Amino acid sequence: MYPRLNKAPALVVLLLLAACSSPKVAVDGTFPVPLVNPHPIHVGWYLDDALKTYVHKEKIDRGGDWVISVGSVQQSMFDSLSQGMFKSYAFLDKPEAAAPVQLIFVPVIEQLQFSTPKQTRSKYFEVWIKYKFELRNADGTTRGEFPLTAYGKAHIQNYSMNTNSAALQEAANAACRDAMAFFALQFRTIGPVKTWLTENGLGG
Amino acid sequence: MMPNRFLRCAALFVTLLLGGCVTARVEEIREGHTAIGAADTIAVLGKRDRPSATETEFDFVDCVSKNMGPSVPVVPDRTFRDTLFPWFEPRTAPANTRDLPELISHPRFVERLNNLGVKYLVWIEGSTRRTDSAGTMSCAVSPAGGGCFGFLTWENDSEYEASIWDIKEGRTVGKVSSEAVGTSYMPAIIVPVPIIARVKSSACSSLADQLTTFLTDAS
Repeated sequence: MYPRLNKAPALVVLLLLAACSSPKVAVDGTFPVPLVNPHPIHVGWYLDDALKTYVHKEKIDRGGDWVISVGSVQQSMFDSLSQGMFKSYAFLDKPEAAAPVQLIFVPVIEQLQFSTPKQTRSKYFEVWIKYKFELRNADGTTRGEFPLTAYGKAHIQNYSMNTNSAALQEAANAACRDAMAFFALQFRTIGPVKTWLTENGLGG
Repeated sequence: MMPNRFLRCAALFVTLLLGGCVTARVEEIREGHTAIGAADTIAVLGKRDRPSATETEFDFVDCVSKNMGPSVPVVPDRTFRDTLFPWFEPRTAPANTRDLPELISHPRFVERLNNLGVKYLVWIEGSTRRTDSAGTMSCAVSPAGGGCFGFLTWENDSEYEASIWDIKEGRTVGKVSSEAVGTSYMPAIIVPVPIIARVKSSACSSLADQLTTFLTDAS
C-alpha cells in the first residue's frame, strides 16, 4: 500500500520550480507584410538548415541556462518581407537559381546576443541579431555581401505576470521586426544591391 | 443589528481597499482645430522610438484606448503598427510632425491609412514611478499560526503626456498631460490590509476623458 500523496504541496513545488527555471523561448507567430513600393524584380532566397534551426544557448553566471530559438521563424519573416517588397520570389533548395530569379539572397545569422535587466541594471530585455546577407547572381556566383544588425527590447513591467520568458520572447520578436524594417526601407541604399539595381537599369 | 454592523465594517474595509489618496491634475494645450467625423478613428500609440530610454507601459496605452468615449473610435496600437509596417517601428517611427509629409507622400501609405480611417495620432509618453517608500513589516509562521506586524507606505507618481497629431495635415493640434500622485498604505496587525492608491488608473481615466473632450470639442 503506497502512502497517499497530498497533491497540493507537490503542485506548489512544481510551480516554484517552473518559476525558477531558466527561460527557453522561441519566437513564433507571423510578421506583417511591409508597406513599400514593390521592386520589379524576381528574387530567390536560400535559407540553409543552420539558419532555419538557429538556436542561441548561453549560460549566464548565476543566471542559469538561456535558450532563444529564432530559426523557425526565418522563412516566415522573409516570406512576409518578399510579399511586400518584390514582384515575385521563391525559396530555393540550393543557392543557385532553379526558378526564374534575377537575384539570390543567402542570409546567415552570424551572432545573437541578449542581455537581461539584471545584467544591465535596467528594466529591459534586449536582443541583438547580427545577420550577414550574401548576394548572388542567378547562376549562383557571388556579387557581394552586407551586414544587418537588428535590435529589439522589451520592458519587464509589460510582462510582469508572465515571467521573464514572455519579455525575452518579445525582445527577440522585436529584433526580427527590426531586421525586416531595415531591409525593407534601406534596400535601395545597400551597397551591393544598389550596384545591382543600377546595372540593371533599376537604380535612381 | 449584528448584520448591519457587519455590513458597515465590510463597506469600510472595501472603501479602505480602494481608497488610497490620489491627486490628479490634467492640463491641455490646444494648437489647432479638431473634429471627429462619423468615419474617423484615432490611433493611440506608446512612444517607443530610440534613443529614448523610457517606454510607456502597454497597459497604460491600452487603458487610455479603452477609456476613450464612444464618440472616438480607437485603432489598437498593435493593429496600427502592423497595418502600417514598417513605418511605425522603433527604428522608423516619425519623431515629430516634420517627418509626416514624407510619410504622406507615399500613396500606398495614405491608402492604408484611409482604410483604417485614422485622422489623429495620439502619442503617449511617460510612466508611473515609485518615488518614495517607508516603513517595515515582518511576518512569521509557527505551528500555532502566523501573522504580520508593521506598517508600509509608498508613493507613486504618474506623469504622462499625449501629443495629438493631425496625421494628414502633418501638424500637432495639441497636447494633454495628466499627472497623478498617490500614497498607498499597508498596516498589518496579523493580517496586512492594503490601502492602495490607484495612481496609474487615475492618470489613465483623467487623460482619456480629457482627450475625448479635446478631440470632440469642435473648437
